[in-house]
Amino acid sequence: MLKVSDLEVSFDGNAVLNGLSLEIKEGETVGIIGPNGCGKTTFFNCVSGFVSAFAGKIVFKEKEIQTLSPSERANLGLGRVFQNFGIFREMSLLENLLLAIEGNRKGASKKELKEVANDYLKDIGLQSKINSKAGSLSGGQMRLLEIIRTLAFGAELFLLDEPTAGVSPKMKDDVAGIIKKLQQAGKTVLIIEHDINFIQKFCSRIIVFNEGVVVLDDTPEKVRNNQQLKEIYFGQSA
Amino acid sequence: MSALIEIITSDYGIHLGILICIYLILAQSLNLTFGLGRLFNLAHIASCAIGAYATALLSTEFNYNFFICLLASMVISGIFAVALGVISLRLKTDYFAIGTLAFSSVVGAVLINWREVTRGVLGIPGIPRPEISGIDFYQNINFLGLSLVLMLLVQVFFYFIQKGRFGRSLRALAEYEEAAMSLGRNTARIRNISFFISSVAAGMAGSLLAYYLNYIDPSSFSLTEMVFVLTIVIVGRPGSFWGMFAATLFIILLPESLRFLDISSSYLGQARQFLNAGILFLVVYWKRNSLFPEQRQV
Repeated sequence: MLKVSDLEVSFDGNAVLNGLSLEIKEGETVGIIGPNGCGKTTFFNCVSGFVSAFAGKIVFKEKEIQTLSPSERANLGLGRVFQNFGIFREMSLLENLLLAIEGNRKGASKKELKEVANDYLKDIGLQSKINSKAGSLSGGQMRLLEIIRTLAFGAELFLLDEPTAGVSPKMKDDVAGIIKKLQQAGKTVLIIEHDINFIQKFCSRIIVFNEGVVVLDDTPEKVRNNQQLKEIYFGQSA
Repeated sequence: MSALIEIITSDYGIHLGILICIYLILAQSLNLTFGLGRLFNLAHIASCAIGAYATALLSTEFNYNFFICLLASMVISGIFAVALGVISLRLKTDYFAIGTLAFSSVVGAVLINWREVTRGVLGIPGIPRPEISGIDFYQNINFLGLSLVLMLLVQVFFYFIQKGRFGRSLRALAEYEEAAMSLGRNTARIRNISFFISSVAAGMAGSLLAYYLNYIDPSSFSLTEMVFVLTIVIVGRPGSFWGMFAATLFIILLPESLRFLDISSSYLGQARQFLNAGILFLVVYWKRNSLFPEQRQV
């Protein structure tokens, strides 16, 4: 589904990604962890097209995409969920969903579009707030809305950047629930997360970044017990 | 009440009615780019000037009829907008404002210095009012009717643009461009189209203004005029469709009340400008936290 080879990105001469390579298969749910500044979000920005790589190759669904614009990548099925909530706060929940669904349902009436939007909102228990401003939602609800909006848009690969950031502990279960729904729907999911306990619930693999390269790529259990991970995070030696 | 009706139906009331129609077209069209798209577009009056001069030249030099002149004004303003958009819409926020301001200055300089065509500061006199189906538009009441029809058509058009898919996409990119892109929106194209539509309507307003005044010169399209239209949009709440109606009425009619005060006519112009500047300052100060919200970024 996604193959990244030798990706290099730098800002003002400081290398952030140093020849990063990884491969994600269709239907996989993979976690990405690593210390702050290791290049996790830059990697997502690069795959989404918001940051240009000066070297390397990104292949998504058998197609090289590094020269495509972010909107072209999105239309290919690349879905992005932002760390700082990518919802449109000034718009209602209905309008947020309309932005996702009206493009691939050309010719549908207003009523039909509203019904589709309502069905998606039902999935996350927010149908009663369909006309409320998205900015009035809690952090967890905003995250659910953003994920369901990305699903409604028709994304096949989900790039979730710290989906539990700004979410209350109670709502974390709801976020976990919707990620499981994505898995059941056969979607491919990549999750950046600091909370290893959270991602090991649904990830078959965890990839560890450090200084812009992949240093570990294994099952959650093996990564958890890996001495190198402790060294990266705590600077401990064996 | 009878005094009010008398004012509305007087020559003075009709004159104000025509101005309100023209400024409503200008305000609603600027509201699309500046209000919904948060593009600090300072070239709006330049687009209006291009439309006005196109009508003035085509009607006086080539005797083209009203419909051709109106259409040509809109098309020419649109073409300039596309050319300007290709260059300046690559710029973000403040830089876009500077780019459009520079364009306005260039248009102003061309109008003053290209004397063979524009007659420079002397302006173009004798722009003939249209005559359609035997209706004499030299009668201001008839011209008000024409202005009302065009204004209403423009408002209906902008209503559907704002409330529809395009308006939603424009609001989305204004709030969080990367999130709009991640929903497949080609934000550069959306911005270009909004700038084009806005400028076409400004060209129409310019054409109408030229016909109404029968005479135009570069001073009619100065930065002061730009600030005046910007004041309407800011007072009406950027992005609000109905707010433009209330603000246009308020901003045009309030300074007119100065006429009824005992102020020398030599000070009246300055007093109006002070009043407009005061209103703009107060609204910007009052709404300073919500008027220009920061765009979120990844």
